Amino acid sequence: MDEFEKSLQRDAESIRAEISPQLRARIDASLRGIEPLRPAGRTRAFTGKLWWASSLTGLAVAALVIVVLSRDRPHPHQQPGEAVAKMTVPPETDPLLSTPMLDIRTADFTSPLEEELVNLQTDIEKARESVEKDLHFAF
Amino acid sequence: MIGGKRKSVLTDEQLVEATLDGAKDAFGELVERYQERLLRFLLTRSNSRADAEDAIQDTFINAYRYLASFDSRWRFSTWIYRIAIRNAAKQHRPEWHDSEVELVDQLDPLAACIAYAEHENIWVAAKRLLSDDGYNAMWLCYVEGYSVKEIAAALGKSVSWTKVTLMRGRRRLGNELAAAPVAEKRGESYG
Repeated sequence: MDEFEKSLQRDAESIRAEISPQLRARIDASLRGIEPLRPAGRTRAFTGKLWWASSLTGLAVAALVIVVLSRDRPHPHQQPGEAVAKMTVPPETDPLLSTPMLDIRTADFTSPLEEELVNLQTDIEKARESVEKDLHFAF
Repeated sequence: MIGGKRKSVLTDEQLVEATLDGAKDAFGELVERYQERLLRFLLTRSNSRADAEDAIQDTFINAYRYLASFDSRWRFSTWIYRIAIRNAAKQHRPEWHDSEVELVDQLDPLAACIAYAEHENIWVAAKRLLSDDGYNAMWLCYVEGYSVKEIAAALGKSVSWTKVTLMRGRRRLGNELAAAPVAEKRGESYG
């Protein structure tokens, strides 16, 4: 420790800072009026030892929720299937849903089928003519 | 309740643990250990003795209330000094740009405490020459003996900032000390 540090310490010690009895009484009185906030770390340690209890509690709560939800859900025998379908499936008469989809399917899928039908009919006709020729040559 | 033998043996951190376990008198022991050190520091940081006493009362209240948040990786003294510095900063910044004689006339707590003991207290000069953080760093280093890392933690600054601040503070106060004998001779000639 050099002379500079000694001077700093010596001058600091020369500052009189006695605690008066009144001040100490004030501090003690103010401390009596409060309590330390709950230590979070200790809470974690306590609950860590009781992990099984918290797990069981969680399972019990989950089971209770399932029971309550099952009780509130409508019973299948009380609600006919048609009624359920009405609640979930949009009506077919809705023009916004039915009309455009039908037009698109007609344009995409009927034309190839018609061509296929024409081809089949042509093949059948050719086959019939061929059979007639064979019969003519045979008889 | 902690007996006298236990009081003299337990460390600060053990007293904190005892307080958290419900031994309220353990915190009373911590108050006993730190009240003078903190008051001495706060007297140099406050506008008046009344403000310093309010600050030390708030410091112990805050420390007690939030004791559970004390990180045991720190020293308790570092932690409580941090609270004290914060409480002192809440108060009005003292007017330290006046002369020392005027400080005595205004019943400044620091000047009043040393007026008849020392003519040239270096901490009066430190308050005039250094910033608040610089003063705090110098006090923690040379009065409390904290390491640079602990000072940085107490002030919420980086280690690099603390090193530079201590170096500058030491240089400025060193120059002031070097000029002190001249002032003493002048004072004696006037006395």
